[in-house]
Amino acid sequence: MGGFKRWLAGAVFVLALTLPLALPAPGAEVDPERIRGPKVRELYMVVVRDPDAAILALERGKLDVLGDLTRPSDIRRLSKDQRFSLSMAPGFHMAQVGFNLRKSPWNFPELRRAAAMVVPRDRLVRELFSGYSAPLATFLPPVSPYCDKGAAAPGLDVEGARALLKKAGWSWDPSGVLVPPKSKQPLPPATILSPTAGVAPTTAELADRIAGALRELGIPVKAEPLDFAAMVQRIDERKFDLYLMAWQLGRDPDSLYSFYHSSMDVRGGYNQTGLKDAEVDRLLEALRYAPGEPSARKAAAEVQRVLADRLPIIPIYTRYSVAAVSRAWSGAVATRAAAADNSWSLLSMAPASGGARPLYWALGDEPKTLNPFTASTATDWQVLGLLYDTLLAVNPNNLSDLPWLARSWKVETLTGAGGPRTRLTFSLRGDVLWQDGTPFTAKDVKATLLFLKKNSIPRYVDAVRDIDSVSIPDDRTVVVTMKNVSYWHLHSIGGLPIFPGPLLARIDDWRSWQPARTPLPGKPGLTELYGTGPFVFREAKAGDFVRFTRNDRFWLIPR
Amino acid sequence: MTVKGYWTRRLGGAACVVAIVLVANFFLFRLMPGDPVSTVLDPRFSPEAKAKLEALYGLDRPLGVQFFIYLRRMTTFDFGLSFATQRPVLDEILERLPNTLALLVPAYLLSVLLGTVLGVLAARRRGRVAEKAVLAAGAVSFSFPSFFVQMVLLLLFAYVFPVFPLRGSLSIPPPQGAWPLLADRAWHLALPVLSLVLLGFGGWALTVRNLVVKVMGEDFMVLARAKGIGQRRLFWGHALRAVLPPLLTLFLLSLPGVVSGAVLTETVFSLHGVGRFLLESVLGQDYPAAGAAFYLLTLITVGSNLLADFLVQLVDPRIRTGGEGS
Repeated sequence: MGGFKRWLAGAVFVLALTLPLALPAPGAEVDPERIRGPKVRELYMVVVRDPDAAILALERGKLDVLGDLTRPSDIRRLSKDQRFSLSMAPGFHMAQVGFNLRKSPWNFPELRRAAAMVVPRDRLVRELFSGYSAPLATFLPPVSPYCDKGAAAPGLDVEGARALLKKAGWSWDPSGVLVPPKSKQPLPPATILSPTAGVAPTTAELADRIAGALRELGIPVKAEPLDFAAMVQRIDERKFDLYLMAWQLGRDPDSLYSFYHSSMDVRGGYNQTGLKDAEVDRLLEALRYAPGEPSARKAAAEVQRVLADRLPIIPIYTRYSVAAVSRAWSGAVATRAAAADNSWSLLSMAPASGGARPLYWALGDEPKTLNPFTASTATDWQVLGLLYDTLLAVNPNNLSDLPWLARSWKVETLTGAGGPRTRLTFSLRGDVLWQDGTPFTAKDVKATLLFLKKNSIPRYVDAVRDIDSVSIPDDRTVVVTMKNVSYWHLHSIGGLPIFPGPLLARIDDWRSWQPARTPLPGKPGLTELYGTGPFVFREAKAGDFVRFTRNDRFWLIPR
Repeated sequence: MTVKGYWTRRLGGAACVVAIVLVANFFLFRLMPGDPVSTVLDPRFSPEAKAKLEALYGLDRPLGVQFFIYLRRMTTFDFGLSFATQRPVLDEILERLPNTLALLVPAYLLSVLLGTVLGVLAARRRGRVAEKAVLAAGAVSFSFPSFFVQMVLLLLFAYVFPVFPLRGSLSIPPPQGAWPLLADRAWHLALPVLSLVLLGFGGWALTVRNLVVKVMGEDFMVLARAKGIGQRRLFWGHALRAVLPPLLTLFLLSLPGVVSGAVLTETVFSLHGVGRFLLESVLGQDYPAAGAAFYLLTLITVGSNLLADFLVQLVDPRIRTGGEGS
């Protein structure tokens, strides 16, 4: 714990020294319950792929909101410009060094610990990211509600690392290379895989510097930059010593199971380090199948503590999410957990002065598809997320659950002949209309869940696999009974986009369905791409923009 | 060899090239590191979900079966569904083609025209300021990286002096009416086209100048001059006619390179074109889309070669086969 406090103090010091913008202060929270909107009548999501062109477009007033700012030079430049308000929030990004635990010498826990003690995270972040990232020592990003900040990898202590190795029987040969206990052979050369400088310049440089730090301890490591696909293949084939890779995680700690459970050390699984530890497995199963939030939180904390002891990886840094918003607009929602380029901002933003005008929101890439069953990129879902609602929403302040299409919910554990199972009961809002004017009911939720389950759609298969039955006692209640017990079923089901039931019944082939190109019969101006969300899809000009208008039927607009 | 025999051999050779590329196209993508499913890096995506995705893409079938499906699709121009967009690949390409043609056709023609005019001018003004200026401009145009030049142009003419738009192929919101829309598209294409002309004319100017200078020193030109043929007729009637075949060949053989070279321009100016599609297909391991794009590029290359052969025979009687000399 003391180590983490020292690390945190260091990180805060680094931030204070380097950043022209700071994280919102605690207490600077918005009340999502009081947001009423959207106030924007017309929204253009503008495709600008080149980051330089995006900055120029923002400065020329062609864009109002630009997110995903990562280059320190851009952030500094925009932060000095009074026309923009910049917000910064810790993200779910996590860069880590993974060890191949299947082979020597990385199966020596003391070597992994010593390696973690010589990586100068603070200095690396300061020098490579100008402070727009935070050194990371935990096994989940600190913004995650389930991150146990007490369970951390050791901080920088080069002398401590050498002492630890000496105590475990390690020695150094005359050239300074480490020799394992009970061996006369120094460690063989090893490599740390990373993407190439052409693709990820800072990551490649980071790998080089980490290799340098390890060499100073006597571990003969050098960086091996590879084409990203080749790197992933080497890791999949388990042909590596160490690797440096960044992940984008979610608010739930399910990544822990994927990364560290022994059953995930299979083809297509993410247990890349090959950790096989009975205690970790037991705790991860307790986490995955926890019946309620408190037991889930307890299991998450316990497994992180064990991981801090086993150290299959060294957490390195987490990147901040930075967004710029034109001051010609007011009401953007920026919290300690979310920069301003979030969906809450779209509900509450309004022109700071003057009459209504369109809002121009930057898309860093073109949506690949607007079919919600095959859409997979973040850009696809930036668009689709405005159209489809979920049963639960995420509180932008603390990432807790908020009522959305479901007014309330209940998680119960049933016992019976089939064994214990989770039952989710959602009570739905009564004032929600589809964008075609028909009322949203429990039938739509049931149709969605059954459609996704019946068709085994890859994107949704993990969420709906364990559904046993769906019943609707009335138009406002949905009861979902799962095949097993897990608190996370609430988030899996509660986070699914809900589609109009009658429309689902008409879809012959979900794979080739092109809703954005298919007019909705009898509803001029609408396509089959419609939901209950705050914005109505109007048109997509490939390569240029996606246009929406406000959904005047949206339930958060005061009537 | 008769004309018929020559063309039978040429067409047979072209068909062999297409067949080899077709086979290589299939296996090379599968030999490349990674695959469309393994590059999905999301810890919330289980091995079971990945297996479903593999089945959806048809990658769970035996390689031989995949190959025959691929061959059938390529030869019938039904390229299947793109992995990334789940739309027919042909639709994706046809949707982007007008944008790419609108960018490349004027840019390429203007580059060739400007380069040829300046090359001829330099050749006719040997040793003078005009030649030196053309050589210098040509070298600069030829050697600057396109990405850099385009970013500088964007900064200068879209930001510092906002004469042209910063991005895309039309204004947001787009103007109403056919003519304003057409004008708007032309305005958006002006800077990308200008950038390609600036980057493209230099190579042409240097090539044309060198060819003309070389031809002007040939024996037949000396003879023509000795016969008292006037300078104007000497130049336009003899020298330019002699350089036409290599220029024509160069013009046609450069076409495939121009298409694939559209990638950077479409990225910098946020244009929705085929070049970008090709790049994204390869990077995203979208086998149907990348396979189709490379197949079409092969057809363009082979077609350009054949067309070049045909046209060169038309314009140059010396290499026409099947005649007295054969």
